[in-house]
Amino acid sequence: MSFLDTKPGVPLLESDDLVRHYEVSRGLGKPSAMVKALDGVSFTLEAKKTLAVVGESGCGKSTLGRQLTLIEKPSAGGLKINGEAVGDLSDKEAKLFRRTVQMIFQNPYGSLNPRKKVGQILGEPVLLNMDLGRKEREERVRETMAKVGLRPEFYGRYPHMFSGGQRQRIAIARALILEPKVIVADEPVSALDVSVQAQVLNLMMDLQEEMNVAYVFISHDLSVVRHIADDIMVMYLGRVAEKGPTEEIFAKPLHPYTRALLASAPKIDPAHRVKAEPLKGELPSPINPPSGCAFHKRCPFATDHCAQVRPELRMYEGREVACHRVEEIA
Amino acid sequence: MALLEVKNLTVEFGSEDRPFRAVDNVSYSVDRGEVLGIVGESGSGKSVSSLAVMGLIDFPGRVTADSLTFDGQDLLTMSPGKRRAITGKDIGMIFQDPMSALNPCFTVEAQIMEALKVHEGGSKKERRERTLDLLNQVGIPDPKSRMTAYPHQLSGGMSQRIVIAMAIACNPRLLIADEPTTALDVTIQAQIIDLLLKLQDDSDMALILITHDLALVSEAADRIQVMYAGQLFESGPADSIFAAPRHPYTQALLEALPERSEGHDRLRTIPGVVPGQYDRPAGCLLAPRCRYANDRCVVERPDVGAYNGRDVRCFYPLDDHGQPTGQTTGETV
Repeated sequence: MSFLDTKPGVPLLESDDLVRHYEVSRGLGKPSAMVKALDGVSFTLEAKKTLAVVGESGCGKSTLGRQLTLIEKPSAGGLKINGEAVGDLSDKEAKLFRRTVQMIFQNPYGSLNPRKKVGQILGEPVLLNMDLGRKEREERVRETMAKVGLRPEFYGRYPHMFSGGQRQRIAIARALILEPKVIVADEPVSALDVSVQAQVLNLMMDLQEEMNVAYVFISHDLSVVRHIADDIMVMYLGRVAEKGPTEEIFAKPLHPYTRALLASAPKIDPAHRVKAEPLKGELPSPINPPSGCAFHKRCPFATDHCAQVRPELRMYEGREVACHRVEEIA
Repeated sequence: MALLEVKNLTVEFGSEDRPFRAVDNVSYSVDRGEVLGIVGESGSGKSVSSLAVMGLIDFPGRVTADSLTFDGQDLLTMSPGKRRAITGKDIGMIFQDPMSALNPCFTVEAQIMEALKVHEGGSKKERRERTLDLLNQVGIPDPKSRMTAYPHQLSGGMSQRIVIAMAIACNPRLLIADEPTTALDVTIQAQIIDLLLKLQDDSDMALILITHDLALVSEAADRIQVMYAGQLFESGPADSIFAAPRHPYTQALLEALPERSEGHDRLRTIPGVVPGQYDRPAGCLLAPRCRYANDRCVVERPDVGAYNGRDVRCFYPLDDHGQPTGQTTGETV
């Protein structure tokens, strides 16, 4: 298991220009189209850190999650887990790496098999990935259940006997049981009530402290992201619009899209409210993205230049921003 | 007189001898031109109470109320035919998930025209013109070509605009929006809420906005009502209710929000879950989860009373410092 040990100085997860295109059929006789769900995304993630990925639905957040967990192979670009390139692994080798990146899904009502007991749900990853006897397996399941705050007598219960928050705890336990380095959490609290959401967020932060896992936290709720994330990556139509430390982005969003996102989120405290025109229009289709900057049709600052030339990510004030006019509007 | 007046509305399901009270003696009223926000966690009865107002609770559900009047007419005692003429025309409703609120088999035009046909009549040509007007009004780009579109050809935000167009087709005087933006992105949510408030303002309509999003109601509503496990826990003006909550539940909900705990590592949580059908406490429904609960709260169930201009269901409403010292009066505001 030496290749899975943490190496000092090497980021846990390193994505270099990750691309994922899907071919979609447009009907008989028509040429099939290419959906650029992920179009060149790079980032690094260190141990014990949380990277939040935010954006509207259709911006490629979940596609990114599927590449990172090795559920799908990227069309191009490199992905390194713990310093090892995992792009061209055989299925057998990929299986070893899958252990290191686990996933929590959005809807705990859909992600747990209703016909299996909690013990079986949590035992299955151990059975498939670890060489443990029956007794040891059960012990491990019980240990993990205790870690996420599930009582040991729940071992033989079915998912329908639990509330939403408890189910999400089961899902978290299932992701943790193989002791992964990275957990990709795809909207883990958006299906939960406010009071339960707080419990689950606290649990996730406690576990990070205890087990040194890194999170890729996919979410659309900016107040949650602000609370939990160290870094934020704002995505728009498969590309990164802005990337930087959480507090800096919230204090001074640079990209017009980040600004619009922050302004659209409702706030309880009147002092926090940002008065701004809501963003017009909707996310364009990734089959036929606009020319130049993908955001130019909804952007209040767009010029002709924006409509023609696609802005690349560049450093500005210690952050990465993909906008031609960031100097003028910042 | 208020446009809609609900007094002691109760909705029960299940057997007669062991009923489950989804809504428990809830009273409220909405005036013309007013936005009432109803917030609560899932299972708080916020949706069921509005379905009861619309008359959409079927057997075996039982709706009882001291009075349920719309514009002076009692909705519960009138004939079903007369009631149907009011719901859908004078009271419109927007549902949570626009994708399932639209019929996938019919075009947008056909679905909006159906509402017009039932309530307003008129020739097909007039109805079609009115439909085009409505699509313009709710801000659908290129409305002419969208008329013949099927729901699957529309995005979530666009579908919700169609649902809104359908709800306002007959110029309702009261619009009930049940989680109108929960299925949508934040940017689209902002657009839809702006649209609803604009429509409400233009026609002096009353709007009931039901949501679990505290921040959303605090921005949009004039008055807010907090519900828990079928009961009304606190109601009052939007600008003050979240600044100085009087009920421990409102206080705890606010503290659980990430927005309120900036700079803290951990969020304050409310332990436990909303009680279900079989685990209702004997006393105050919040007692097992309330940090201030004492012996009296465990055995005795509090009534709604007035305190500092709010209606609060608590023996010990919170003072300005968030401490449970106050006393409610027997009357309500």
